[in-house]
Amino acid sequence: QHKQLSGVTSGCQQGGCLTCSDYNGCLSCKPRFFMHLERIGMKQIGVCMTSCPPGFFGTRLPERNTCTKCRSECDSCFNKNFCTRCRAGFYLHLGKCLENCPDGLIRSDTQRECV
Amino acid sequence: YEWSQDRPGPGAPPCPSPCQCEEDGMFIMVDCSEMGLSSVPASLSPLTTYLDLSMNNISEIQPRAFHRLHLLSELRISGNQLRYISGHALQGLHNLKVLMLQNNQLERLPGDAPWDLPNLLSLRLDANLLSEVPAEAFRGVRSLRHLWLDDNSLTEIPVAALDSLPSLQAMTLALNQITHIPDYAFNNLSALVVLHLHNNHIQTMGSKCFEGLHSLETLDLNYNDLREFPVAIRTLNKLQELGFHNNNIKAIPEKAFVGNPQLQTIHFYENPIQFVGKSAFQFLPKLHTLSLNGATQIREFPDLKGTTSLEILTLTRAGLSALPLDLCEQLPRLRVLELSHNQIEDLPSFFHCSALQEIGLQHNQIKRIESSTFQQSTSLRALDLSWNMIGWIHPDAFASLHSLIKLDLTENRLSSVPVGGLGGLTHLKLRGNTELYEAFSPDHFPHMRVIEMPYAYQCCVYGSCDSYKPAGQWDTEQSTNEELHKRTVAVYPVHADTHYDPDLEEFQLEIEEAKLQTSVQCTPTPGPFRPCDSLL
Repeated sequence: QHKQLSGVTSGCQQGGCLTCSDYNGCLSCKPRFFMHLERIGMKQIGVCMTSCPPGFFGTRLPERNTCTKCRSECDSCFNKNFCTRCRAGFYLHLGKCLENCPDGLIRSDTQRECV
Repeated sequence: YEWSQDRPGPGAPPCPSPCQCEEDGMFIMVDCSEMGLSSVPASLSPLTTYLDLSMNNISEIQPRAFHRLHLLSELRISGNQLRYISGHALQGLHNLKVLMLQNNQLERLPGDAPWDLPNLLSLRLDANLLSEVPAEAFRGVRSLRHLWLDDNSLTEIPVAALDSLPSLQAMTLALNQITHIPDYAFNNLSALVVLHLHNNHIQTMGSKCFEGLHSLETLDLNYNDLREFPVAIRTLNKLQELGFHNNNIKAIPEKAFVGNPQLQTIHFYENPIQFVGKSAFQFLPKLHTLSLNGATQIREFPDLKGTTSLEILTLTRAGLSALPLDLCEQLPRLRVLELSHNQIEDLPSFFHCSALQEIGLQHNQIKRIESSTFQQSTSLRALDLSWNMIGWIHPDAFASLHSLIKLDLTENRLSSVPVGGLGGLTHLKLRGNTELYEAFSPDHFPHMRVIEMPYAYQCCVYGSCDSYKPAGQWDTEQSTNEELHKRTVAVYPVHADTHYDPDLEEFQLEIEEAKLQTSVQCTPTPGPFRPCDSLL
């Protein structure tokens, strides 16, 4: 059984779903789960997760928990302005994905960081 | 990743049942998520670099469960029923960089024998039941950069525990029950860039509570119970984004942000702010938006000396009676000026505000519009002067408003309106000017779509009445699509130098609207009781 995304089964079998439909997947999530709309072809499937997928960051609020897209140059991020891993060709320094590192630091392609 | 249960090739590390595996060169990535497991699989290969145990029924981790996994880089155990994880349980994970424990039932962290994860960078403890963090809890994770402790039951900042994290760069303590931030709470976090404290019950803060946060750029204090302005921010000279909206703050003091020259955004709406120090927003050269609504005790326009990048200024429902004459010299990049619901009587010249696109001055006490007021306001697109006392407008007042498409003069005292320069209007509102009898010829407004006049008969020139339609009257119904396209494009001429980048959604809406509306909508619509002929 293959999975589209690490840790998540689509449709109604997901552990985090509160209400769901076979066609649209999760319609609402249990408390403390993140709701994310995953695009599969033309369809959008609701997915309830304990952490947002790569390229998104989670924001917890009293009434709901949402996934929001990181900046384009980030593979993963803590919030909109703070990356935790960069896309290829960018190098991480204090939460920023830079094309060039500040003076005194060099680019590490394996870690994609200024070191 | 494409995970599969197929038996790996010869020599490849075994894939523990019922998990799914993915080879990563000589290493292996193992996904055991959502498989109803109640314990950690035993036969995990030492070459495992990624292990996902999320969304199972694991309530306990056996000691040394991972002791052979020296190469493991990411371990996910979120969404289980773990109440406690001892230091011994995570022994051997020398290379672990990411540990996800969110969405469990963790009530406490090990204090006496803390986790020994020397290379850990990201630790997720959010959505658990932690009410405190032992002082020694983080002694073995000194390389930590990102820490999630939000959505727990903390009543205090874990000051002692945080002292062990000199490399921490981003932390969230949001959605807890913290009521106070003591002095020196984050004293050793010199690398911290982001700090989220939103949705707590913070009422008070020590004036030195942010000492030590030399790198902080984002501070989020939204949705708390703060009654006083957080003067402690004064030490945050790298701060770029500050939020304290939805609090209980009544005043912003003089020189409030004197220590924060890098500020770009300040969100403080939904506070009962009555007073704002005149010098509060001085010397913020990177601030581009300032919004103040309902601060009724503001009598004078704030002194914005040195806040030269401001693009959006909203200062509504205050007590302003005048604007500084050098407003545009102070704010040369102003794009949106919203000053409705004040007591402004006279307007300065907006001559130097060359980027100004929107002005909202409705509900003031303006009496006259001079020729110089909007001179050279060539980027102005929307001007709202409704609900004032304007009795006179200089004939050349609108002469240079080539980009203006919306003009609202509702409820003033006008007897005439100069049309020079208004050829680009699509929306014109003149309702409530009871002394204005003139019927404007459509030729003045070739792009008009919505026009509101004081009297119905003034709409007849727009072919809005069946009983009065002289031959040759410009008939809007026959506009061809091509002409309509030309007119639509004209509504939004692209000015290379304008910074106005219309909201795409609104722009598409207006195009659809344009297609539907081929005739000019003029109100009040003439009818039996509102004949075309003026009764006067």
